[in-house]
Amino acid sequence: MKRILTFLRDTRHLLVLLLLIAAGGAGFMHLRGGMIPESFGRIGPYRAAALDEIAARPSVIMADSTCLKCHADVGEERADTLHTAVGCIHCHGLGRQHVAEARRAVDSPDVEISPAKGWDGNFRTDIDLYITKDRATCLACHQKVVGMPKEFKKIKGVPREFKWINVDEHLEDEEAEEPESRETCFECHEGHNTEP
Amino acid sequence: MGETPFVFPNDPNVTWSIMIVLYPYITGLVSGAFVVAALYHVFRQEVLEPVARLALVTALCFCAFATLPLLLHLHHPERAFNIMFTPSATSAMSVFGFIYNFYMLLLVVQVWLVFRPEIVERANSCSGAVGLFYRVLALGIREISDGARRIDAWVIRLLAMIGIPASCVLSGYVGFLFGAVKANPWWSTALMPVVFLASSLASGIAAIIVLYLFLCWRRRVRPDAECVRALSRYLWGSLIVAVSLEMLELVHMAYESGAQWHVISTLLTEHLVVSYGIVQVLIGSVCPFFLLMISTRPQLPARAMTWLSGLAGVLVLVQVLAMRWNIVVGGQLFSKSFRGFVEYPLHWGGREGLIAAAVILALPLLALWVAGKVLPLWPSKEA
Amino acid sequence: MTHQTDDTNGTSEAETLRSRRHFLEKVATITFGTMTLTLFPGWSGSDEESSGSDGEKPSNDDQPPVFGYLVDTRKCVGTGKCLTACRVENDVPDGCHRTWVERYVHFKDGTVQVDLVPETGYADSDMAAINPDDVERAYFVPKNCNHCEDAPCNQVCPVHASFTSPEGVTLIDDERCIGCAYCVQACPYGVRFINPVTETADKCTWCYHRIMRSEAPACVEACPVGARIFGRLDDPNSEISRRIAKFPTHVLKEHLGTRPTTRYIGISGEVT
Repeated sequence: MKRILTFLRDTRHLLVLLLLIAAGGAGFMHLRGGMIPESFGRIGPYRAAALDEIAARPSVIMADSTCLKCHADVGEERADTLHTAVGCIHCHGLGRQHVAEARRAVDSPDVEISPAKGWDGNFRTDIDLYITKDRATCLACHQKVVGMPKEFKKIKGVPREFKWINVDEHLEDEEAEEPESRETCFECHEGHNTEP
Repeated sequence: MGETPFVFPNDPNVTWSIMIVLYPYITGLVSGAFVVAALYHVFRQEVLEPVARLALVTALCFCAFATLPLLLHLHHPERAFNIMFTPSATSAMSVFGFIYNFYMLLLVVQVWLVFRPEIVERANSCSGAVGLFYRVLALGIREISDGARRIDAWVIRLLAMIGIPASCVLSGYVGFLFGAVKANPWWSTALMPVVFLASSLASGIAAIIVLYLFLCWRRRVRPDAECVRALSRYLWGSLIVAVSLEMLELVHMAYESGAQWHVISTLLTEHLVVSYGIVQVLIGSVCPFFLLMISTRPQLPARAMTWLSGLAGVLVLVQVLAMRWNIVVGGQLFSKSFRGFVEYPLHWGGREGLIAAAVILALPLLALWVAGKVLPLWPSKEA
Repeated sequence: MTHQTDDTNGTSEAETLRSRRHFLEKVATITFGTMTLTLFPGWSGSDEESSGSDGEKPSNDDQPPVFGYLVDTRKCVGTGKCLTACRVENDVPDGCHRTWVERYVHFKDGTVQVDLVPETGYADSDMAAINPDDVERAYFVPKNCNHCEDAPCNQVCPVHASFTSPEGVTLIDDERCIGCAYCVQACPYGVRFINPVTETADKCTWCYHRIMRSEAPACVEACPVGARIFGRLDDPNSEISRRIAKFPTHVLKEHLGTRPTTRYIGISGEVT
């Protein structure tokens, strides 16, 4: 009995220490319990709510179908041409504001739909909706660049050959009236109907 | 086949900065210093008695700041505890959190038990705020019986025994953190943890030699020659193992000449010439090897021996820091396209700059200075 | 790897993967004992088992859709429309890239040049002019997150902020991410970066917000030539399934065993 008491007296500092560590550990586990997000682990080992948050971000890039709801005439115009595959956004910008206003205008006809502006030459422009006849827009796709496939027969559902040009040669061959002009392409070509 | 350089567009940003160099460096110092203390406590190397307490407290001081560089590196340091709240068992970094905490706890308990007689003594002899401080430190228990001393000695030895494998796991795990990144051919080798382990031991022993000699000089005490000689021998041995493993890894990579060897050879011959070839190998490995070879000779006068050992210690500390740099930063100097290299701009200022790095390296030493005021670092017979 | 179309091969592969995961789980359980359950929340719940039963994702069936991404490098003409689209869609800061398009130029003298398609047209770019007569062959390779089945980025994330959704999309929870950049190091494809605005890891999500509304990812929507194809692999009649069945496909850095979901038509070994 005495030996046990002696042992207890000799080890009480270790006991206190162990209690402290246990208390710390328990305190941490308690704290941690409150710090694990609610939806954590509901689907897998991650915060399930993150899926909904990421999925809730707004879509920015508009599919052509959105534009063609109102501009069906353009759809018809370019239906059988190579530019069917080219998105409206590539030459006209994101049109976020324009589409939002157009959607509101369905219910309340007095909503004004802001019209397109001229392009500022910036591919990442802030202009919501623009009309461009600038050659830079055309050449982004049509300028012959090393790396473009040699035999490219088909673009997105249109079984016809894609046309690349060497700009200077092409302008000379076709005897462009104003080869220096930014809008020289539109001397001969239409944007929507690509038949020359 | 000739190639022009090409770097993946996200790769120019070196995301792991000098902070991630310091983190394995400090962790290595911790485990190396602890092993010195354990050599005394577990393997009864009585010759190391003069540095046993210093080694233990040094380990604790560096361990206390081991995660500070990580915190400075994190882009969301306020979320750091997510590592403990929702840890991932598959992440080396996450598991490191647990290993580190376990090790830190072990160190604190070990230090407390080793210094308990002095703490209790001061708790009884000092009054006022100082006395209160020591009474709190003694956890309110103000007497030590002989039986308690025997039990403490046993627990200290047990903790030191647990501490040796824990040290190895700690520093080895840091190596694993890099060695398990299969995307990076300069990191991804199974030798990486072993290399980190060996160089951790070398750096820890070197740090104890340098600190001991410096503190002896400050206290105007003649350093214990036998102790320094023994430490030099350990340093020499661990340096040989560490450098051999480092070279083995390199030779293996070069001999295998795997798909990415051309990147690694360019890295070494063009981008890491100074930090690897000159600092890590020549200054940090070859020089101390010869210095220690001389200093461990028994017939060398004590004064010359301490000078040589101290110099070798400093060089080994530089070697290991350079080795961490070459691994961590070197591994990010090439793009994962394996076709081009990037630069790491090291700035003075900023959260991850040189000044912050210097402060991080100084803080454990400051803590050691404070610890020296609070606890007696030297064996009683010397004082 | 050349993709095999017979189903038996696919199933056995999936089973091997599953058994490997189970093995890892067992190892973890043995190693950590009861600690596993308490210290690593969510670890015991396998995503495959519980995701279907929860059934809260918009889907026609009980099963979540299986998405796939295919890049047909034979079609890419390097217009860079995808790059601008991705940037505006996901608000990607300048200097960071969720997607990019590489150009591989093999010269007749045996040298290879790799460079990047400029995001804003060739006209004002600093791309060096190349004489087409010196070129043996050249092609474009669009890149983005490969959404690996065994994603090393998810593996190393210490806080479960990087994870694979039930649809197989690798995502980042930017409320949990601590910004340690371990995933940036672990990704063999260099698709991850630390977003300087959110200060969290960031990368391509296949436009998760779009695909969950049955819209195509922005880069796919913006591609005028159909070089980027996105669709459901669980629908044998989808364009992506038909193309994968028809042409041999490859994945990037196959030897690393990351099992990318993004497949490529028409690339060879020099593409890293």
